[in-house]
Amino acid sequence: MPNPDLISLLHLPFMQRAIGGGILMGLLCGLLGSFVTLRQLSFFSHAVGHAALVGIALGVLLNIDPTWMLLPFTLVFGIAVLYLIDHTDLWSDSILNIVLSGALAIGVILTTFIQSYRGNLIGVLFGDILAVNGTDLTITAVLLLVSSAIILTTLRQQILLTLNLAVAQVQGVAVQFHRYLFVVLLSLTVAVAIKAVGILLVNAFLVIPAATAKLLNQQFTPYLLMSVCLGAVSSVIGMVVSGLFNFPSGPSIVLVQFLGFLGVVAWVKLVHQGVVP
Amino acid sequence: MSSESAFPDRDSHSPHPEATPVINVNHLTVRRGQHLILQDISFTLLPGTSVAFVGPNGAGKSTLVQAMLGLLPRAAGTIEIFGRPLTRLGRLQQQIGYIPQNLLFDRNFPISVTEFVSLGWTPQTLSHHLPFLPNLERTDAVNTALRRMNILHLRRQAIGTLSGGELKRMLLAYCLVSPRRLLVLDEAFAEVDVQGEAEFQELLKQLMWEEGWTVVQVSHDLDMVTQTCNHVLCINRSLICSGSPTDALSPDHLIATYGDSFQRYHHHH
Repeated sequence: MPNPDLISLLHLPFMQRAIGGGILMGLLCGLLGSFVTLRQLSFFSHAVGHAALVGIALGVLLNIDPTWMLLPFTLVFGIAVLYLIDHTDLWSDSILNIVLSGALAIGVILTTFIQSYRGNLIGVLFGDILAVNGTDLTITAVLLLVSSAIILTTLRQQILLTLNLAVAQVQGVAVQFHRYLFVVLLSLTVAVAIKAVGILLVNAFLVIPAATAKLLNQQFTPYLLMSVCLGAVSSVIGMVVSGLFNFPSGPSIVLVQFLGFLGVVAWVKLVHQGVVP
Repeated sequence: MSSESAFPDRDSHSPHPEATPVINVNHLTVRRGQHLILQDISFTLLPGTSVAFVGPNGAGKSTLVQAMLGLLPRAAGTIEIFGRPLTRLGRLQQQIGYIPQNLLFDRNFPISVTEFVSLGWTPQTLSHHLPFLPNLERTDAVNTALRRMNILHLRRQAIGTLSGGELKRMLLAYCLVSPRRLLVLDEAFAEVDVQGEAEFQELLKQLMWEEGWTVVQVSHDLDMVTQTCNHVLCINRSLICSGSPTDALSPDHLIATYGDSFQRYHHHH
């Protein structure tokens, strides 16, 4: 049933924090997601997200706030995976599958040791944006600022190395430095977003807005801007939908992104067929 | 046959022999796993040289180009560009233009021709870091480069929609948008039509003679090499010979490079 009292809901502090968090995360994931999509890193962030389960379980076992455990854990994990990809002769999807399965196995075994926390596993898997607190907002805002500064001031290098590694290298782009730096930002973003949307849905935030923007743009600047805007707008609409229909918030946002994506796919198809001018 | 080469040149455009070499390769050896791909190659290129690497398929020409630019690890030897070791080029690196044999990229990458060519603009200003903020000077440079390559009309198109030849023109425009001293083309004209190739060669001559660029080309077109290059390196795993096109492409040298069954094929343009 639709919830008629949406306006009073918006006055509640936790709802305001949730919307603020959703917008910040939408902007952050839209920004990094635009390169995740182009560099085919979506499976990478997927693996990092699942490995986060180990970080959360360890945090609970060691009595450390899961937020502070998640950040360093995903960071180290992300860098280790990139290092493995670079230093073995296997395709990256094999490596990612191996570490994803391994991390998931360890994570699930660890959670069996946590009697009191097991009931909350569903919360870890799907997240709860309504539980976002002031610290989460600050971390997300700082990460957004740092990521924007890095990506925008190195945009030329980022685009070149995404397009063609050899050309970028000859042009003096520090390819390895930028690859690792991006993975650091991406891993931290995954960690931050997990609290809000959970392990299972975090990748949607990174991939769907950027993929939608990619379908609609042939130039880079509008693509980047649209990816960032779609991230933020879909968060707000998703929160409203969640409030109106009493749906869980994270999945509502992803549902809005998904429907938007489907709509754009259909639109592009119609344009190609000449049905729409 | 010589295993070393350092050149002055054959014609009036020959570079000054005392100038700092643009490239200095010394005893370069490259392996891939256990396989020896290139052995003990040494040569020096002076500014304003137009040099061609020729040799049969699998001779290691592209490997030489890639090793020379630091894209492949070397088993032995040293490489200096603009008088400095490869790893210490710093900003000088931006004075190298490189067009790879196959530019592999995501054909759906959302970037227009203008945006791509803008990435080649390298003055050290804020707009160097923010390549898509409006900047008149850059717009001028980009449009001039696009006009010079006859692709101004394609400027708003996504690069994934370009044909092979148009893509090569765009890459050359990318190299033209800022001044460079060294241009390395790895079979850059493989997908370009005859008319386009003639235009390209004319442009390369201009860059070389009027702007002092050094041009290195990997090519299979020996007639083109004879007409437009002032130096040739014949390569087949090692340096077979080096010299002016007339010397290096003599029948004996060609047989030494390509094998006994070699017959020179003439392009009829």
